[in-house]
Amino acid sequence: MKPHAEIDEVWPRDGRIRLVGRIHGRTTDGTDGTDGTDGTDGVDGDWRLVLIRRAHPGRRLDYPARLQGDRFESEWPVADLAASDYAAVEEWDIHLSDGSTELRAGRHLDDVRGKKKIFVYPEQRVGGLAVRPYYTVKDNLSLECRSRTGGTA
Amino acid sequence: MTDRRPRRPLPKIRYLLLHAYGRGGTIRTVMNQANSLVAAGWDVELVSAVRRRDDVQFPLDERVRVSTVVDLREGARTQPSGLLARWRDRRRSRLLEEPARHIPQGEFGYRYFNRYLEDELIAYLRTLTDGILVTTRPALNFLAAEHATGGVIRVAQEHMNHGTHRRDVQKRIRQTYPTFDTVAVLTERDREEYAELLPGTRVVRIPNAAHSLDQAPADPGASRIAVAAGRLAPQKGFDMLIPAWAKLVGTHPDWQLRIYGSGEKKAQLRALIEKHHLYNHVFLMGHTDRLDDELAKASFYVLSSRFEGLPMVMIEAMSHALPVVSFDCPTGPADVLTHGVDGLLVAPEDPDALADAMARMMSDEKLRAEMGTAAVLTAASYGPDAVHPRWESLFTELSELGGLGGLGGVDGSGGPGGPGGSASVEPVESAGSPA
Repeated sequence: MKPHAEIDEVWPRDGRIRLVGRIHGRTTDGTDGTDGTDGTDGVDGDWRLVLIRRAHPGRRLDYPARLQGDRFESEWPVADLAASDYAAVEEWDIHLSDGSTELRAGRHLDDVRGKKKIFVYPEQRVGGLAVRPYYTVKDNLSLECRSRTGGTA
Repeated sequence: MTDRRPRRPLPKIRYLLLHAYGRGGTIRTVMNQANSLVAAGWDVELVSAVRRRDDVQFPLDERVRVSTVVDLREGARTQPSGLLARWRDRRRSRLLEEPARHIPQGEFGYRYFNRYLEDELIAYLRTLTDGILVTTRPALNFLAAEHATGGVIRVAQEHMNHGTHRRDVQKRIRQTYPTFDTVAVLTERDREEYAELLPGTRVVRIPNAAHSLDQAPADPGASRIAVAAGRLAPQKGFDMLIPAWAKLVGTHPDWQLRIYGSGEKKAQLRALIEKHHLYNHVFLMGHTDRLDDELAKASFYVLSSRFEGLPMVMIEAMSHALPVVSFDCPTGPADVLTHGVDGLLVAPEDPDALADAMARMMSDEKLRAEMGTAAVLTAASYGPDAVHPRWESLFTELSELGGLGGLGGVDGSGGPGGPGGSASVEPVESAGSPA
């Protein structure tokens, strides 16, 4: 299993989205581990949650992530995702980064297959923008943004 | 009982189902019965009143023939050519839209019936002159009682508690069930009730069989998963289970509830999950072909139904050594479960009581393990080996009585299932040496 940010909980609520999870697969020397069982010491440092707009990878948003051992927690207001140049549907991919490595957020360590249809989260609406976290077919966590009218969100 | 005479050919058994291509519990258990019967040398046909899918959804022995009365699949009909064909087609379309006349509106499957289906079923039932017909729900029982009068031996399966039926259905049951050779119910409570209601009618109790008891035991101590399963429909009470979970999620945040099944209430249940902010703890898993594997991963099973016949998935869960938390709803669970031994029974339709019992189960790993062990023993009496021979002896007995009665066109040369039966069956060969 590649190092990644394993998501445990997703809380879209009151116009914000909060994520809780664990960093998986980092060893003490900072290199990629194999199973992450001893990875808790390698996650020190200043980690941030990074949102990358899929259609424009240069467009990024980042937020502080609180760490305790390998547990992380972070949140952001969905209003930040508004942009004037939106297509009708835009996706943002979620990562956790310490400045040098970007770990993709996803859910890979449980037994549930077909997460896209099973782990379904409520939509958050701000202005003309509707944001919903979802699992991709590869079980990574992304955001789907729909603007009421493309380009005016 | 037949050892002094040459063995009679086994009668042909026909099961009439509303939708043999569906996924419900009745369909599954009928298929289990059919598989056992053909394996024992019987000639079995499943007759599907309607057909909406291409394939059957449960394992079915290839020797079991499946036929359809009204095929509703897209493209199942060719364009009518000719005046008469077009007229018939228009008539069919019109009658498909008209409400049923012979089925009481309180039948829970009423909306699946219409005048066209009724007419076709009646025409089909009138052709039956031999063998044994088993009808599997009230609407089909009512039609068989009135129209399968050509000599076929009739068995009505009644999967529901009498009190659960609406009044108009109860009335028709009293009127029509006495014409059956046997009424088969699932639980002892039901047997007593129907026997009292239908004096002079033979009422037997044969529980549905679990499809197999040879299951991987779950480890109820290990996981933090509770499982519920069933159609996402009001009967299953998931709309009470979700709020019950909301009451304990704060004290047991490491547990998750997995609800398996599909159905028309999915959107409402999803909304309920969102309302209670349970999207990290309660999951609508959808339909699975591998419920066995999912049960083997769980710690306990929850049954939140408003009513049940005999809850088969619960029994299957028990065969995986899972303890059960269940509403004491009419009539199924209490017939199977012993409160405090293999599960916890709580007041029906009471989400608070359900939440308390689930919390108790979650907090006590030893209790789960002990009740899980007891559950395996309970489930054993619902295994195919315990149940299916009871159907065989019922059918054998009925065919012997039916033969004496000289009903219909049974002429003795071919016997039931012989020349009068559907084309292209060869029951005599396979019936010669039942297992």
